[in-house]
Amino acid sequence: MAGTKSTRYRRATWFWRAVAAVFVVIMVFPVYWMVNSAFEPNGQITSLTPSFFPVHFTFHDFVDAVNRPWFWDDARNSLVVVCSAVALVLVVAFLAATAVTRFRLRGAKPFLVLILVVQMVPSTALVIPLYLLLDRYHLTDNYLGLILTYVSITLPFTIWALRGFVRAVPVDLEEAAMVDGASRFGAFMRILFPLVLPGLITTGVFSFITAWNDFLYVNVIMQQNYHQTLPVWLFSFSTNTGTDYGGLMAGCTIMSLPVVVFFLLVQRRIVTGMTAGAVKG
Amino acid sequence: MARAPAVTRAEVGRPIGTAPASSASSRPARPGRWRRSVRRQLLPFALLLPALVLVAGVLGYPIGQLVATSFQQLGLFQLISHHVVWDGLANYRQVLSSGQFGRSLLQTLLFVATCVGLTMLFGTGVALLMKRLGKVIRTAMSLAMLLAWAMPTSASSIVWSWLFETEWGVVNYMLSGLGLHFTNHNWFASSLSAYGVITAMIVWGAVPFVALTMYSAFTLVPPDLSEAAAVDGATPAVVFRRVTMPIVRPIFVLLTVLSIIWDTNVFNQVWFLTGGRAQVLNVVPLGVWQYIEAFSSQQYGLGAAVAVVTVFLLLAATGYYIRAMVRSGEVAS
Repeated sequence: MAGTKSTRYRRATWFWRAVAAVFVVIMVFPVYWMVNSAFEPNGQITSLTPSFFPVHFTFHDFVDAVNRPWFWDDARNSLVVVCSAVALVLVVAFLAATAVTRFRLRGAKPFLVLILVVQMVPSTALVIPLYLLLDRYHLTDNYLGLILTYVSITLPFTIWALRGFVRAVPVDLEEAAMVDGASRFGAFMRILFPLVLPGLITTGVFSFITAWNDFLYVNVIMQQNYHQTLPVWLFSFSTNTGTDYGGLMAGCTIMSLPVVVFFLLVQRRIVTGMTAGAVKG
Repeated sequence: MARAPAVTRAEVGRPIGTAPASSASSRPARPGRWRRSVRRQLLPFALLLPALVLVAGVLGYPIGQLVATSFQQLGLFQLISHHVVWDGLANYRQVLSSGQFGRSLLQTLLFVATCVGLTMLFGTGVALLMKRLGKVIRTAMSLAMLLAWAMPTSASSIVWSWLFETEWGVVNYMLSGLGLHFTNHNWFASSLSAYGVITAMIVWGAVPFVALTMYSAFTLVPPDLSEAAAVDGATPAVVFRRVTMPIVRPIFVLLTVLSIIWDTNVFNQVWFLTGGRAQVLNVVPLGVWQYIEAFSSQQYGLGAAVAVVTVFLLLAATGYYIRAMVRSGEVAS
C-alpha cells in the first residue's frame, strides 16, 4: 500500500514539475525577448521571421547605452533615492504595523482604512498637486522630495502587509522575552523583528521595484537632467526621428540588473521561512 | 470570489498585556494606574506617528486639492490665469450623465473582475506549487517571477506589443506554425481582443507579486500544525481549507483588495499597448478615462471628478472586505 502511494506521489511530483517548467518559460519569455533584442542589431528586431536567439550577436547597444549622457548620474540618483526610500519605508511601516497590532490603540482602525483610501486615488490625478506642494517647500529637484514621495506611496501597502505578518507571530514569544527582563520596545526589535523578516523582505522587494520603475512622479518632481532617475533616462532613446529599440532594450536590461542582484542577496531569507524554526523554539 | 468572514484570531493576535496568563495580581495598586494608561497609549502612538506624519503630510494636501478641483471649472485658460471658478456639482453631473461613464464602468467591472480573478488564482496556485516542490525548482520559479516583475513597465509594454504585432509578432508566428490561421492577425482590431492582450500582460506582471507574497505567508503556517492534521487523517484539501487558509486569509484578502484597486486605476499598460489609441479602440476603463478628460481634453475639473467618483466606486466594491480586514485585527477579550 505504502509503495503505491509513494509511487503516485512521485508521479504527481513530476507532473507538477512540468507545470512549474511551463510557468517559468511563460514568465521569462518577455524578459528573454528584451535581452535577445538588446543583443541584436537594430534592423533585425523587426524582421518578418523572428529569431529566437541573437544571430548577429553584438554588444554595441550596451556600450552605446552606458555612454549616453546622464547614464551614470541617473543610475546614482536611482540607487540613492530608491535605497533610502526602501530603508525608511520598512522602518516606519514596521513600527506602525506593531502599533496597530500589538496595542489597543484608539484611532488605529480609521488610520488603516484611511491609508487604504489613499491608495485608491489614481496617481495620474495626484502628481500635479503633489508637485505644487513640494515646490512650495523647495523640495522639487531635490532627493528628499522624491524619497518622501516614494515612501508615502508605498507606505500604505507596506503597513497593511506587515500587519498581517506581525499578527501571525505569537505574542507569547515577546512576553517571554519581557519576563526575562527585556523592555517592550526591546522585545519588538529583538524578537518580533527577526520573525517578520520574510515579510519585511517581500514588502521591501515590492517597494524597491515600485520606486525603481517609477516614471510618473520623478518626471514631474525632478526638472534637471542630472537629477533624473533611470526610467526617465530610458526615454532618451525615443527621439523625433524614431525610437532606437535595440538601445532601449539594452537600457532596460541594464536597469533590471540591480533588482535581480538585490533579490539574489535577500532570496535565501524568503525561501528559508524562518518562522517555522522559531516557533519550535 | 468566496466571501471572507472576519477572522477572529484572539489567541495569536492578542496584544501584550491582555494575556490571560499575565501576572495581573502582582501589579502595584491604584496610584500608578492613570499614569500607566497614558504611557500605554504613548508608546503605540509614538510608533504610529512617523507613518501618520508622512501619509498626511505628503499626500493629504494633494488629495484635498484634487477634491477641490473636482468642484471647479478648471481648463487651460483658468490654470494659466490663476482664475478659480467654483462650479458646484457641475462636473459630477456631467460625468454621471455622460454616455462614456456607463461604458467605462461596465468595461472596468469586467476587466477588473477578470484580471483580479486570474491573478489571485494563478498567484495562489504558484505559491502552493513552490511549497510542494523542491528547493531548486522553487528558486528557479522565484527568480523567473522576479525577472518578470523587475522588467520596467516601458520595456514590458514595448515587448508585449511586439509579441502581438500583426505582421512580424512572435505570437502570430508561433500560432501559424501550429497550423492555425493567425498570419497577419490583428489583435487590436476589436475592443474585446485588445482587452484580452492587456489582461494577459497585467496578469503576467501581477502574478509574481501575489505569488511571492502568498508564499511568504505560507511560511507563517507552523508545519507542526498541518502535520498534526495530516496524521489525524485530514486530506491535503482539508488541511488547506481548515489549517492553512485561516492563517493566510488576511493576506489573501489584502492582496485581492489591492489588486482591485490597482487594476481599476490601471493606465500605463493600456495607454502603451494601444499606442495612445485607447479611445478609438473603445478600450476606456475608468483610469484611462480620467487621464483623457484631465490631460488630453485639458478639463482638469472633469478629470478630478472622474477620479473622485472612481474612489467612491472602489470604496463601495471593497468596503465589505476592508471592514472584515480591519475587524480581523480586533482584540477579542
